Amino acid sequence: MKRPGGGAGFKVFVWTAFALCCFLGAGLFLKVLPFLAFDGDEAAQDTRQYRWLIWQRAHQVSEGYALGRELNSGKLSYAQTQETKDRIETLEKGLMPDATNFRFRVLDQAGVEAVTNLPDGEKLSAPVFYYDFRMGEYGLSEDVWGNELWDERAEGTPEPDAQIEGEAEPEPAVYTIACSVLAEEELLTSEVEDEFYRYTWWFLVGLGDRVAAGVIAAVLLCAALVFLGLILWSAGRKNGEEGFVLTWQEKIPFDVYVFLAACVLCWTVWAAVELAEQLVNLSLWSLWGADETEQRNLLVMGSAAFCTLTALGAALTLRTLTARCKCRALARSTLLCRALMWSWRTFKEVCKAAAELARSIPFLWKEMIGFFLYFFLDLFLFVGGRNSALAGLMWFLLNGAVLLLICWWGLGFHKIRKGGHAIAGGDMEYQIDTHRMPDDLRRHAEDLNNLSEGLSSAVEAKMKSERFKAELITNVSHDLKTPLTSIINYVGLLKGTEQTDPKAVEYIEVLDRKSQRLKKLTEDLVEASKASTGVLAVNREKIGLGQLLDQALGEWREKLEEKRLTLVTTLPEGETWVYADGRHLWRVVDNLLSNCAKYALEGTRIYLDLSRGKGQVALSVKNISREALNVPPERLLERFVRGEESRTTEGSGLGLSIARSLTELQGGAFELAVDGDLFKAIVTLPQAN
Amino acid sequence: MYNILICDDDRDIVSALDIYLTSEGYRTIKTYNGKEALRASEENEVHLILMDIMMPELDGIRTTAKLREGSNVPIILLTAKSEDTDKILGLNIGADDYITKPFNPLEVVARVKSQLRRYTSLGGAEKKPGLLSAGPISMDDAAKVVTVDGEAVALTPIEYNILKLLLSHPGQVFSSTQIYEQVWNDPAYGSENTVAVHIRHLREKIEINPAEPRWLKVVWGLGYKIEKGEGGR
Repeated sequence: MKRPGGGAGFKVFVWTAFALCCFLGAGLFLKVLPFLAFDGDEAAQDTRQYRWLIWQRAHQVSEGYALGRELNSGKLSYAQTQETKDRIETLEKGLMPDATNFRFRVLDQAGVEAVTNLPDGEKLSAPVFYYDFRMGEYGLSEDVWGNELWDERAEGTPEPDAQIEGEAEPEPAVYTIACSVLAEEELLTSEVEDEFYRYTWWFLVGLGDRVAAGVIAAVLLCAALVFLGLILWSAGRKNGEEGFVLTWQEKIPFDVYVFLAACVLCWTVWAAVELAEQLVNLSLWSLWGADETEQRNLLVMGSAAFCTLTALGAALTLRTLTARCKCRALARSTLLCRALMWSWRTFKEVCKAAAELARSIPFLWKEMIGFFLYFFLDLFLFVGGRNSALAGLMWFLLNGAVLLLICWWGLGFHKIRKGGHAIAGGDMEYQIDTHRMPDDLRRHAEDLNNLSEGLSSAVEAKMKSERFKAELITNVSHDLKTPLTSIINYVGLLKGTEQTDPKAVEYIEVLDRKSQRLKKLTEDLVEASKASTGVLAVNREKIGLGQLLDQALGEWREKLEEKRLTLVTTLPEGETWVYADGRHLWRVVDNLLSNCAKYALEGTRIYLDLSRGKGQVALSVKNISREALNVPPERLLERFVRGEESRTTEGSGLGLSIARSLTELQGGAFELAVDGDLFKAIVTLPQAN
Repeated sequence: MYNILICDDDRDIVSALDIYLTSEGYRTIKTYNGKEALRASEENEVHLILMDIMMPELDGIRTTAKLREGSNVPIILLTAKSEDTDKILGLNIGADDYITKPFNPLEVVARVKSQLRRYTSLGGAEKKPGLLSAGPISMDDAAKVVTVDGEAVALTPIEYNILKLLLSHPGQVFSSTQIYEQVWNDPAYGSENTVAVHIRHLREKIEINPAEPRWLKVVWGLGYKIEKGEGGR
């Protein structure tokens, strides 16, 4: 996928163009730089540089005189003589009219010309400069900068200097050098290419071009700025990438990058300035030798190159800054930021470890340490408080803080106690607010919260299983009862048919009996499971147990009499009221009496006792078992267990189990006791007022 | 000749009932779900409906509700659910009686006869003054005659007096002591279970299934009462 500004070619182009613009602009500017010292309307001769060159030449003349005098004095050694001679010769050669455009006349004190290099018929062209020197002294007596003085003398006769009085030695002769350079037109066409020629040409050309060159340089630098803009725009863009990407450069932390860039840039700037300074010096204060032109060009290029390097370095830094900003990675890509973050993390971990350590100290130890710390600090501050107000204030603050701490604990404890009370009261949903609790209390509160959660889920699971059981019982009873209905009905039909075989009649009798038995068994089974799973609805109300026993005996008396069983009832005075569900309690009594009818020895008595006391009502039923009771009473309460092993008698073995379950459902207790053949059942129920 | 509609998804139960009822001289229409029962009751003249509750397509409760929209034919529900709530729901929705499975065929026949008698012969009978009644039981105190579904029942004087006491306060519960004192006109001295025995005998005479009485009810621990007669259906 192409993306504007993301191509490598584009980037290379932009960078190259930027570098070129910088280089050319800087070069042009450097070319113009020396001309900034000039006004623009002056001629080459008016410049200081020009005069400096003339002074140099005049100095050579005076040097020639001085050397000549030394030579004539004869005080020199041979070697010195030779050396001096060579020097004089070089000077004379350099001052010959075919070697220079410099023209001079040396005048003695009388104004008589001593030496000149003026070709015949030629005169010194204006402006003429005058310099004095004393015979035998190196250097010019006049300051080269005393321009005004020379101009005055140019008009009149040169005045000899004031003599110093009382001088023993004879005054050395004073000479005046009158000198000038060829007029500009002659100079520019001259065949002699000396320093004046070169300087004038450089000056004229440079001065003429400096505005144009300056404008071009400015345009180029503007172009460089535009390219810099393009560079910054394309920073972070890449073909085939959405958003902005970071390059290897951005892997370097930004502050390190900036520091390195600053070092490099300082060096390059320093180098560029140094070279530019050299260039200016070479242009303004040199002797304009033949090889200096090339040197100047080299300096311009070198300085421009360093300028370009500086610009490139700055551009790179700006580019990486832009890219980082675009990716919003400036802060985190700095070393400082990373170091800060690292130290923050470390600090946090240290804090955490410290907190962990404090937590792992046993509670008692913490209390002891805390108390002793408080105690000694308190003592110390209290004693100190007698002399120092600050210590007294600290003592108050410390005790206030401890009070607050105790209140904090107390509040947390109060919340926990409230929560514990609510949970104990059955509110399993209750959650203790552990916000801003002391650590130890919070853990306790969380345990309580988890406990209540566990309990409520257990309760919910239990309810679910109860519902499931109830449904199962209903379904099973339906599924058992439907086929049983058919069996009973068809057995009834069979009985109605004519059977010739007496055996068939007998068989049908068995079927009839057993199907009736099965019916009873099914009903008992359903009732037993309902009673024991507690899905039976219990409507407890105040009922009279005496009345209920009376009603039950009315139902059973004749059946028991048939079995020759005598009932002996003992009831307390008045009605005995209990809180129970009448129909369930009837089932309990019914089952107990039915038990007696089935298993009691014929011709014996059944004792029914009702007694009250301590808020409880106890009903006991006692009878003599027909068979030996060789099972413990606990076993009798289990389902399908009966007093005799043969299991031939009627009954499902569920009667006592149902009776117990129903009694317990009503909040009562059911007990069995066996003493030899004496069977005893006791039902205890809470008494109602 | 009465037409009885039998409806149960268990075919064996339907044919057994068919045999019993046919032998009693009734004509039967056999159906196997609620929808069939609705259709058959529209197509034929039906005098009584015996219907199961748990059936596919349309259960007995909903069928009863639909039938009650345009008919007051007696409906007896057969139910394997022995929960009280099912019975109460069935009766509230418009059924006249219920029999729990597994049932005794003789009880079914007795209940069918009872419902038919009340539906056909007693339906329009107007109440005479001085006539005490609750459901199928009515007592003519002037003639000292007690009838159940129009058939006279022989009662001993004590049984008659007990029934008279209960019938004259339908829905009210009388304890054994109260009954003894009112009927015997003597204070009770712990001989209350004579009352219980008499009541049991009375129940055997006037109830179809004395183990599951519909009218003369035992309120365990409190006493006895006559169920309030069904509102004028």
